[in-house]
Amino acid sequence: MQKRIQLSIGLLSISIIAFQLILMQILSIVQWYHFAYMVISVALLGFGTAGTFLSIFKKKLLSAIDVILPILMITSGLAMTLVIRISQTEFIRFDSYLTFADLSQIWKLLLTYLLYIFPFFLSALAIGITFVKYPHSIGKLYFYNLSGSAFGGIVAIGLIWRFLPHEIPAIISIIPLVAGLIIISKKIIYLFFVAVITVIIIVVNIFQQNQLVLSEFKSLTKTLNLPEAEIKLSKNSPYGFMQFVTSPALRYAPGLSLNFTGPITASDAVFSNGDWYAPIIHGNLKNKTSILDYTTISLPYYTGEKERVLILESKTGYRVFHALTKGAKNVVAVEPNSLIISLLKNELAGKTDSLFFNPKVSIKNIDSRTFLMTDTLEYDLITLPIIGSFGGSSGLYALQEEYNLTVDAFRQIWNKLSSNGLFSVTCWMDQPYRNPLKILSTIVETLNQEGIENPVSYIAAVRSWGTITFIVKKSPLLINELNRIRQFCKTMFFDPALLPDIVKQERTNFNKLQNEEFFQYIDEILKNSRAKFYTDYAFKIEPATDNRPYFSQFLKFRSLPKLSEQFGNYTAPYFEIGYIVLILTFFQIIIASFLLIIVPLFKTGWRSSNKLWTFTYFSGIGMGYMFVEIVFIQRFILYFGNSIYSVAAVISSMLICSGAGSYFSSFLKAKRGITFFIFSTIVALILIYSVILFPVLKLTISFPFIMKLLIAILIISPLAFLMGIPFPAGINLLVKKSEDEIPWAWGINGCFSVVSTVSATIIGIEFGFTSVILLASLAYCLPLFANLRIKK
Amino acid sequence: MFSIIIALVLFRILQPQEDPYYNQRLQMVQHQIENRGIKDSSTLKAMRNVKRHLFVPKGSIKYAYDDRPLPIGYGQTISQPYCVAYMTEILKPGTDHKVLEIGTGSGYQAAVLAEIVDSMFTIEIIEELGKSAKKRLKNLEYNNVQVKIEDGYYGWEAHAPFDAIVVTAASEYIPPTLIKQLKDGGRMVIPIGSPFMVQTLMLVEKKGDKITTTSLIPVRFVSFTRSK
Repeated sequence: MQKRIQLSIGLLSISIIAFQLILMQILSIVQWYHFAYMVISVALLGFGTAGTFLSIFKKKLLSAIDVILPILMITSGLAMTLVIRISQTEFIRFDSYLTFADLSQIWKLLLTYLLYIFPFFLSALAIGITFVKYPHSIGKLYFYNLSGSAFGGIVAIGLIWRFLPHEIPAIISIIPLVAGLIIISKKIIYLFFVAVITVIIIVVNIFQQNQLVLSEFKSLTKTLNLPEAEIKLSKNSPYGFMQFVTSPALRYAPGLSLNFTGPITASDAVFSNGDWYAPIIHGNLKNKTSILDYTTISLPYYTGEKERVLILESKTGYRVFHALTKGAKNVVAVEPNSLIISLLKNELAGKTDSLFFNPKVSIKNIDSRTFLMTDTLEYDLITLPIIGSFGGSSGLYALQEEYNLTVDAFRQIWNKLSSNGLFSVTCWMDQPYRNPLKILSTIVETLNQEGIENPVSYIAAVRSWGTITFIVKKSPLLINELNRIRQFCKTMFFDPALLPDIVKQERTNFNKLQNEEFFQYIDEILKNSRAKFYTDYAFKIEPATDNRPYFSQFLKFRSLPKLSEQFGNYTAPYFEIGYIVLILTFFQIIIASFLLIIVPLFKTGWRSSNKLWTFTYFSGIGMGYMFVEIVFIQRFILYFGNSIYSVAAVISSMLICSGAGSYFSSFLKAKRGITFFIFSTIVALILIYSVILFPVLKLTISFPFIMKLLIAILIISPLAFLMGIPFPAGINLLVKKSEDEIPWAWGINGCFSVVSTVSATIIGIEFGFTSVILLASLAYCLPLFANLRIKK
Repeated sequence: MFSIIIALVLFRILQPQEDPYYNQRLQMVQHQIENRGIKDSSTLKAMRNVKRHLFVPKGSIKYAYDDRPLPIGYGQTISQPYCVAYMTEILKPGTDHKVLEIGTGSGYQAAVLAEIVDSMFTIEIIEELGKSAKKRLKNLEYNNVQVKIEDGYYGWEAHAPFDAIVVTAASEYIPPTLIKQLKDGGRMVIPIGSPFMVQTLMLVEKKGDKITTTSLIPVRFVSFTRSK
């Protein structure tokens, strides 16, 4: 029986992780990523809730384990297949867009939380029961739990490639159903009826799928309101749920010159997870014109011929098309999203004049940073995609690591330029000003670090009514280039915002600002005293770095009262909604975790010499493990150049190695010396990694993929192996000292895993990931000291 | 005492009894619009006259005179009262003017302008919104308003040129056709910004061959309650 239970725990763990990942994608589609993050973080407290529940009802649950365990597994499958369908009903469906102002949305959000907690609660309760029932086999059970989780990530990626998002939950729900079936005792016949009913519901759900209902404020929903708008193609991938939409009323001309008098031809568009991704501009390369000629994006081409052009994050290739129309002889398009490349080479090839088959174009399916580090050529022009969205992104990307917009990235770009080459960055003018100022501060810092004493000679910026484009040249801008830039502005009704010899009056010849603070800010950034300006400014505009790669995180909490005063209480949260939601998530989780940890004590009692140990030990290992995992994920995203596969590789390797450690722990004796050795080695390794990890990865980033994978596994495995030992070792200690506290410990571990995930993101944003890894070592000091104390 | 009674009776008689929102509207104009610096008397008068509660969905009537935009379905909103007033004032509408609006929505901005100008033309791209706005404006006897359901990109060539153009939906580009259909010396006002954001109003002015823009105040257009 125990073998079957171990197997069922493995299967259940596969389904939990796979479901969590697909739920993340679905919530990102129907709402936005930051709300998906919040809802799932809270839902994962289902683990902590299970621990609390198990603490209170332990005896009853264990006395009927033969019935309860398979029921929990089967019903968790049932919950996985039903919760998304229920959450889409009018009664529960909330709109995150309205959360800050419409109180009725709060209740809907709470109902959504409760709904999504269910599958995690049921699964975690099933796992927790086995830990409590078979504590002596904890090493093996935990091994199956961790290995199953490792496999769950891979299963999810496979499913995401093969099925549409709304089809996947019902498919995943088969796994816990099977897990439940294999442990049903033949004597309890009626459980088979429960299973049969579940099978029927799952089958019905598989064949009767409802389309996801997106927020009416998502850009896809709005686009579908246009005349004759139609989704022509939908394909899912770990890069996002990509949808190709056509409508004769769709046009793309960002910040178009007011001097443009021709027709703007209709373009199609690609959406990713319901959000705008990029346009598909219809065109014929023979025409040698592009609508982008009439936008500030065209600025770099007006300074001179650009033969070799590097397009980073080429997306749908509209900038590649533009480069070719401007006479580029060799265009390298770098795009990590393999699905979009495949679409442009196949289904959408006819729409783009077979752009990606053009002999002048070479496509690199790789992350931009990895390409920059491994490529050996030099370019006359390197361009980045337009930053932010029209009117500002509202902090929607605040939680997103943007490794292409750090000083480290800009320095790499700079070093790929030919002697007269330049790179260009365009962004929307936002209100209050954030993106343009942060781009400039990143450029200035880059040039400073490259030893340029007078950055202003190397930078030009041109502003239209809606966009601003910066160019940074490898050598100082020449007079004739400046003349061409001025001519470009005059022709297009644009204004120079920054030139080495700029005159105040020419900054607002065509496009006036109500006040001219913007230019004062630009000038402040160019001064040596800019650090003070960064401190005083209402938003974070100091450059992002690889250690803090959050370019779009602008929020300063101290500015919120002022913003509220200026724009109203309802408006203020919408300035930087992503980060505010993260902070709200943190507080919700802290409060919920506190309650979940405290509640069992009302039943089991507060006074016990062991409770402090249990709390310190399991909270420490919960936090420490997640801190390390998150730092590894962050570091390896840049290393592998593909966040999805790096996350899968890192998490899977970690979990498998930890599973092996857990299995190994079965053979360890719980002696003071051994546990001291394990914890002190973990702490020492983390401290060593905090110093050497980043340099080692930087040194080997240009290695072939297989070599990098081996290096990653070599780095991860020793630490992950050791980190797999403390949980089963702790449970074993509890068996000897206070077996009743095992469910509580399971709950504490669950709660702190979630708390640490959210807090690691906040710490990463505020202080960088080096701080997170140092905190991981401190977290592992807690069980180390707890163990020392218990022996005394 | 007698005079007080007469004054009260007169006040009751003079106050339009059929409009229970009259006082709210007066307060809206005073607190949200006049106090924030809108001075144009024709704009203020129009804002007092147009019954905003008739332009919002039934479930949102109680919020009609609040200082915020409201959803009208299809991801669209009726703008914050102050914003409507500000846009109206910026256009400097005259009694003999011909004005084009792109993005009819519920028809509120068109109604406000129709109170001032000679003829008002408005185009809505979403058929359902356009039809209901057309019906509403007809019922309210705004006979100087013409509604067309079409892609606003093309403007309204048959009635061009216009003294003023108001674009109520934020757009990543300004259609060249609209610039063409703007009279020399004409004014166009456009909001810039995503639905989540504080939006900036932009004024476009055409003087001969030169077209200039002026970035004005940040204004919020977003809605805060779900459409009922």
